[in-house]
Amino acid sequence: MRLRTLLLAATSALAPALARAAEVPATAPIHKAVDTFVDAEIAEKGARPADRADDAALIRRLTLDLVGRIPTTGELDAYVKSTDPDKRAKLVDRLMASPAYARHQAALFEVMFNPEGTSRGGGGAFREYLAASLKENKPWDQMFREIMLPNEADAKLKGAAEFLRGRVSDADKLTNDVSVTFFGVNVSCAQCHNHPHVEDWTQDHFYGMKAFLARTFDNGGFLGERGYGVIKYKPTKGPERTAKMMFLTGATVEDPNAKEPSAAEQKAEKDALDKAKAAKAAPPAPKFSARAKLVDTALKAESAEFFSRSIVNRMWHRFFGTGLVSPLDQMHSENAPSHPALLKWLAKDTTANGYDLRRLVRGIVMSEAYSRSSKYDSEDRPNSKLFAVGKLKPMTPMQLAASLRIATADPATFDNLKPDELEKKIEQLEASARGFAALIAQPTDNFQIGVGEALLFSNGDRVQKELLTDGPGTALGRVKAIKEPKEAIGFLVRTAYGRAATDAELKALTAFVEKRAGREADAYKQVLWALLSGPEFRFSY
Amino acid sequence: MPRSTFCRSADHALDRRAFLGAGAGAALAANMTALNALAAPDVNGALKKAQKRVILLWLAGGASQLETWDPKPGASTGGPFRSIQTDVPGLRISELMPKMATRIGKTTAVIRGLNTKNGDHGSGAKVMMRGRRDESGLRYPDLGAVVAREMARADSKVPDYVTFYTQTEGRSFAPGDSGFLGARFAPMELTTNNYPEFIKKLDGITDLDHQERGELRELVGKTFEKGRSSETMNSHNEAYQRVRGIMASEKLFDVTQEPEKVRARYGKTQFAEQALIARRLVEAGVPFVRVARAWWDSHGQNFETHQEMVPELDHVMATLLDDLGERGLLDDVMVVTLAEFGRTPGINASLGRDHFASAWSCTISGAGVKRGAVYGKSDALGNKVVAEEMDAGSLFATIYTALGLDPNKNYHVGSRPIPLVNPGIEPVKALVK
Repeated sequence: MRLRTLLLAATSALAPALARAAEVPATAPIHKAVDTFVDAEIAEKGARPADRADDAALIRRLTLDLVGRIPTTGELDAYVKSTDPDKRAKLVDRLMASPAYARHQAALFEVMFNPEGTSRGGGGAFREYLAASLKENKPWDQMFREIMLPNEADAKLKGAAEFLRGRVSDADKLTNDVSVTFFGVNVSCAQCHNHPHVEDWTQDHFYGMKAFLARTFDNGGFLGERGYGVIKYKPTKGPERTAKMMFLTGATVEDPNAKEPSAAEQKAEKDALDKAKAAKAAPPAPKFSARAKLVDTALKAESAEFFSRSIVNRMWHRFFGTGLVSPLDQMHSENAPSHPALLKWLAKDTTANGYDLRRLVRGIVMSEAYSRSSKYDSEDRPNSKLFAVGKLKPMTPMQLAASLRIATADPATFDNLKPDELEKKIEQLEASARGFAALIAQPTDNFQIGVGEALLFSNGDRVQKELLTDGPGTALGRVKAIKEPKEAIGFLVRTAYGRAATDAELKALTAFVEKRAGREADAYKQVLWALLSGPEFRFSY
Repeated sequence: MPRSTFCRSADHALDRRAFLGAGAGAALAANMTALNALAAPDVNGALKKAQKRVILLWLAGGASQLETWDPKPGASTGGPFRSIQTDVPGLRISELMPKMATRIGKTTAVIRGLNTKNGDHGSGAKVMMRGRRDESGLRYPDLGAVVAREMARADSKVPDYVTFYTQTEGRSFAPGDSGFLGARFAPMELTTNNYPEFIKKLDGITDLDHQERGELRELVGKTFEKGRSSETMNSHNEAYQRVRGIMASEKLFDVTQEPEKVRARYGKTQFAEQALIARRLVEAGVPFVRVARAWWDSHGQNFETHQEMVPELDHVMATLLDDLGERGLLDDVMVVTLAEFGRTPGINASLGRDHFASAWSCTISGAGVKRGAVYGKSDALGNKVVAEEMDAGSLFATIYTALGLDPNKNYHVGSRPIPLVNPGIEPVKALVK
């Protein structure tokens, strides 16, 4: 509650820029709202934002973020050359309309649901569900419903059940994962004791959430839910307690019939479950579904803030590399957002517009804040929480693997393809890149790249065979036909980085090649390696 | 004011000052989190303790305490083997370990009161590699990763954490895992032979090309790095800077580099050769090496299994300790024998012993451990601990303390402080020098 007092105190003495931000109308376009709030904070702190990223950097960033790969040099050149004042909006709309958008976003959502990999359910069916849902731009609240209350009889929705299924054997894990994924709240600390640092989270919160979820079980591969069952726990002080179903806001749900069944009822229940098992169908739903109550409570206007703020924060994090609240699972009163009013505005806007994720994404990537350069030519670098400078984002395994495929292909193989042919070709490249992607670590916050990756790039035969080949259709194959080393170097730098080589690069790289007269093909391989293993390739910038 | 959510401990401030004082670049100073402190080479020198190293002999599948450190000859649960007197008064161990019986007093502490409450291979191995159960939403680093994190030099030319697990049985139960410490401290896993993956240069490239392309990479990267700041980018560059050094450490993995006399002393079994490689690695500064020996899971024919495997363990462990001692390394290198659990005192119908986590044993040798200490007592049949019980947490607190680490030292995951062992857990002082 101290936070609220603080905020109240803050609003009474607003600086002019902040005051303007406070007046952003609910009907403002998202990108305008983002910029008003972010710029106000930058001005308030007296910081100087970075310049806007140039067109080449911007199309690379947008293509990586929206469809999970670098642009081809053809796409890049066309964008840079275009004088259409609307070219950015058109690019965003084209990328978001492509099947690759749903594919890439689904992969990101999959990691969000299963950050530890697919061992907890997921994999094929869940990924397909996510991809199909994102393709039709299913509202986020609907996805929440479908994942939490899966309809396993519907072939199209069945995959949604995997999230729960991978966790039903461990109700504590299920409780925490649901809280983290949908509400940005990690209640696991409160499992054993009231949270030492966060007044918001007590054992009642953990067990209150668990009470909604602990009745869920697996019945022969289908999810079932009991209509009874209580959660008891031993608090750090005092006698054992029975947990009420309680949402994170403190809102409780009564279950008037929460009593253990009689022997006869138990027998009837067992028969029904056996019957469902034999019929390979979901067991009958209980009259009172605790899980359905959780979904309803979470989406009720007075408590939906957790749900809407968390998805906004996660989408912001996806495109800016840092959340408005960081870390993503610590959205509580002791960990204030960098831009409280912006988060609130975006959460409200998202709820008011039917949890339309595409709309939110488009708004974010159309903002000036999103388009700032990651380069800042002064020692006086603004605090990263101001979003005054673009953040370097390490590529995901698939972004990296797919981009390597594109950068090592002869750019001419992408030229003159019709849009749907290009889509198809890229999809094939992505498929062929999966094996390599599996060798790369999934980035997290504070991600560190290990020596394992550097050794793989340095000595892995896959790199040699799959990336540094000079067969037909490859960039290195094309280089063989170029006589002049300078020209060949320029070509490779363009293909890998989408820009002209600097003079220093031309000099050093050409010298490297010339020193290897008579075995130029080898030399160009190593030049390409030096480009692809460098930070300019590894990061979205 | 809302409470600060970031690490502001005095310790950290000190490191930060030391680091800034060392004249490092401004790029690193901004937004430095606890986890990133080690990434800065100049901090590392200030943080580094007298470097201790650990060799973990992982007895995968669960070795029997009754046929090793806690025999019960004559009891209904005792089995056919006798016990023998050791060089520690009052301590008798299985007759299958005659070599260790003459060395405990000078090298080793024996722990006989482990009650770790987990008799499942997978989750038991997780607990015994981490000292605690993973929490939902939080993946703890294992012992190897913590030791690597605490003892490795940022610019180290050797790997930080190496694990040998060549046999297939049980390997998937006990992978090395750096948890929230991330890829920097992830293990180099050797599963197919004694050479790490990707440590050798491919034949298709000359050594000079390999080196010079690395220099090109740095040169091209410099253009990009100018005006950009990112801890992840720093870790990327550090990883590449370590490649040539680690490749040069390839020979450490080559057991044939050892004189024939030394190889003969260890023996030519796979376990013995890997223990010898482990010695080569720690000697060269690798902070943590695990050598897994599988498969002790003797649900049937427990006694044949142990009659075959315990003497090998006895020989390898004794030779390793002798070798470390002769090289003056035993005060800096700790050798631990540990498994996911022990085995039931009760002997089943197949003359086997089953999984048992209620009263089992392990050992810690070298480093800051009190040599010849015996801690923990099981009852006459070996069914339960009757004195000086330890769980995984207190074992880890003891290990950390004997390595000179404060078990209450915090890491920070986001804003949350995570001590090396769960809060309230104490090391066993009787086991530490």
